[in-house]
Amino acid sequence: MGCDLNHGEEQRQILDAASAMLTQSFPVSRLRERRRDDLDEISVFGAFSLSLPENEGGAGFTLVEEVLLHVAFGRHVITSRVLATAVAARLARSVFDAGLARQLEEGTIAACAAVPDGDSILFIDGEDAGPAVLFDGRRLALLDRGDGRGEHLKGLGHSLALTRMPKNAVGVLGETYNDTILAVSDLLVCAQLLGIAEATRDLAVAYAQLRRQFGRPIGSFQAVKHHCANMAVAVEAASSLLDFAAVAARDARADAPFQLAALRRLATGAALGNARTCIQIHGGIGFSAEADAHHFLKHAHLLARLGGTAGMLDLPAPLAPHQTITERN
Amino acid sequence: MRLNFTKDDEAFRHRARDWLIANVPRERAPHEGMPARRFSLDWLSSCHEGGWAGIGWPAEYGGQGLPPDRLVLWYEEYVRARAPSILDCTFVALNHAGPTLIACGTEEQKAFHLPLILSGRSIWCQGFSEPGSGSDLASLSTTGTIDGDHLVVNGQKIWTSFADIADYQELLIRTDPGSKRHKGLSWVICDMTSPGITVRPIENMAGVSHFAEVFYDDVCIPLSNVVGALHDGWSVAMTTLAFERKTAAMGLQLELSIRIEDLIALAEPLPGTATYERLSDLRAETAALRAMTYRTLFREPRTASDGSLVRLYFAELAQRIHRATMDVLGPAALVDSAWTHDYLESYSETIAGGAAEIQRNIIAERILGLPRE
Repeated sequence: MGCDLNHGEEQRQILDAASAMLTQSFPVSRLRERRRDDLDEISVFGAFSLSLPENEGGAGFTLVEEVLLHVAFGRHVITSRVLATAVAARLARSVFDAGLARQLEEGTIAACAAVPDGDSILFIDGEDAGPAVLFDGRRLALLDRGDGRGEHLKGLGHSLALTRMPKNAVGVLGETYNDTILAVSDLLVCAQLLGIAEATRDLAVAYAQLRRQFGRPIGSFQAVKHHCANMAVAVEAASSLLDFAAVAARDARADAPFQLAALRRLATGAALGNARTCIQIHGGIGFSAEADAHHFLKHAHLLARLGGTAGMLDLPAPLAPHQTITERN
Repeated sequence: MRLNFTKDDEAFRHRARDWLIANVPRERAPHEGMPARRFSLDWLSSCHEGGWAGIGWPAEYGGQGLPPDRLVLWYEEYVRARAPSILDCTFVALNHAGPTLIACGTEEQKAFHLPLILSGRSIWCQGFSEPGSGSDLASLSTTGTIDGDHLVVNGQKIWTSFADIADYQELLIRTDPGSKRHKGLSWVICDMTSPGITVRPIENMAGVSHFAEVFYDDVCIPLSNVVGALHDGWSVAMTTLAFERKTAAMGLQLELSIRIEDLIALAEPLPGTATYERLSDLRAETAALRAMTYRTLFREPRTASDGSLVRLYFAELAQRIHRATMDVLGPAALVDSAWTHDYLESYSETIAGGAAEIQRNIIAERILGLPRE
C-alpha cells in the first residue's frame, strides 16, 4: 500500500461523532456566558483514551486520530484542561504512576495547564485542585498544587481564570524531557491552533457573505475576499503539515522531528493571523465582546505559550541535495 | 492516512537515483536562444534513451503511465540530483501540448507529434496570452478565418516563452466570427516556420530574452491541425490544466526544497541571529509546501480549484526565499550570478500562469463560496 492522505472511513466516523457532540454541547457562543467547560462529556466520548490500545481500555485508534480530534477541540475553543489532561496522562505513565494515569484517561480527574512566570507559576482554568502540567519549553512537569490556593488573577481580556502560586509552594510529581511525550504535547497544541485557524476562516467567510454594505455582501469586494483567500492558504499549509507530522510521529519515521519543528513554527502564526483577520472582517462587531472572534484570538495566545518555537536548522532535511552547493561549485 | 512507499517503490527510487547521478549534466543550463534549445533537447533525449522521458504519460504513447507514488519519487530524486529545471524550453511540450494531444488529438496528430516530443526532437511554445488578454484570457481576439481546408490567422500573441526556438505552438484563436468569451475559440497546432509569422524576443528584467511577441500576418494553418472540435478550444485548453497543475507543479514545488537547503548552506547562520530565525521560518514553510504537494497527489480534492491554494503558496514562498537570498548575499547581491538571476526571475512567479490576485479570486469564489464581484 502506498501513500494515501484521505481520511479513512473510521477516521471520518470518529471525527463526525466528535463534531456533532461539540456542536451540540460546546457551541462557541457558550463562552459569552463565561460558564466553565465541564469535561465529563468529552471524557465519556473517550478523548483521553482514544489512542490507547484496546487491551488497556482504549479505543484502539492512533495518535493521528487523537490529533485530528484536538483540531475539533480548537475549533470549539475547549478549555486548555483538555490538552493538559491528555498530556498529564502520558506524563503520569512515564513516571510510573499508573493509577493516576488511569484516572486521567478515564476522565475521573482532569489536569490543568500551567506556565512558569519567574519565581511563580501561573495555573490556567484550574479552580479545583487536580494535578497540573507545567509547559516549560523542552521540559514538561506534573505538578501537585496541594490545596490549590493561590493569588487569583484576571486572565487576558477577562477570558481566563488564572491562579498564581510561588514555585516553592508547588510539589513536582514527575518531569520529563522525553522527546516522544514532548512531540505528543506539541502535536496536540498545534492541532488546536489549526482548529482556531480553520474556525476563524469559516466565521469570517460566513460573515463576509452575510454582512452587506454599499448594497452588496462585503465578501464580494476583492479587498475582503483576498483576506479570506489568505486565511484559506494559511489553513491549507498548516493542515497539510499537521497530517505529515502526525503520521510521521505515529509511524516513528526518521523525519518526524523535522516535520514537527516546521509545524511548530507555522501553527501559531496561522492561528493568530487568522484570528486577527477574522476580527478585522467583522468590523465594529468584531471588536465587541458580543461576537465570538475574540475568544479565538485569546485562546490562540494561550496555546502559543504552551507550544512555542525553536530553531530548526540543526535537523537534517528529509529532502536535501546529494551534494551541498559548495561541494558542487 | 499513510505515507509509506512499498519495497518496489524504493527499488524504483534507487534506480532513478543511480541513473540521475550518472547522467545529470554538470554544467548549468543556458537561459536563452539556440544554446538553451540544444542543451534541453540533449538532456531530454538522454532521458528518453534511459527510459525516463514522459514517465507520467500513458504507456501506449511512449510513457510509463506511472502513478503519483512513483512520480513523486522520480521528482524527489530529480531535484536531489540537481537535474536541469523542468521549467525549461521542453516544459510546454512535455507538460501541456503532449498531454493535450493525448487527450484530444487525432490519431495522425498523436502519431506524428508525440514521438518527436518524447525523444527530444521538437520544442513547443504556448500562444495563449495577447496584449489585451492577460488575466482575462477569454477576451482574446487573434482570429482564424476558415478558407477551404485552411485557417488564415491574423493577430498577435505575447509572453510566449521560447517562441524564437520553438518548432510548434499550441495556439488559441477565435475561429467563430462574432463569438464572445469562451465560445468560438479553437486550439490549433501552429508550425512556427509558417510564412507570415514574426517573432520578436522581449528582454525580461533579468536581462535575458526567453519570451517573445509573436505576430501573425495571414498565416495559413491546415484545418487538420485543429485539436479537439472546431470552436471548442476553450475546453481543450482546460483539459490538461489538471495534468499541468499536479504533475508539472510537483517538480517545481519540490525544487524549492533544494533551493532552501542551498540558501542555508550559503548563509551558515549562527543560532540566535535574525538570519537563523528567518531561514528557520522559510525552511518550515518549504516543509509545508512539500506536505501540500503530497496532499494534491494523495488526497481527493474537495473542489477542482484546490490547486490554487498550493499554487499561490508556492509562488509567494519562492519569492520570500529569493528575497532572503539577496540579504544573505550582501555586496554580492549587486553582481550578476545564478543567485541574483534567479531572484529577478522570481518576480514572474506571482504573474505568469494566473496572477496571484486571480488565484485569490479563485480561492475565495470557488473554494470558499464568496460571491463574485
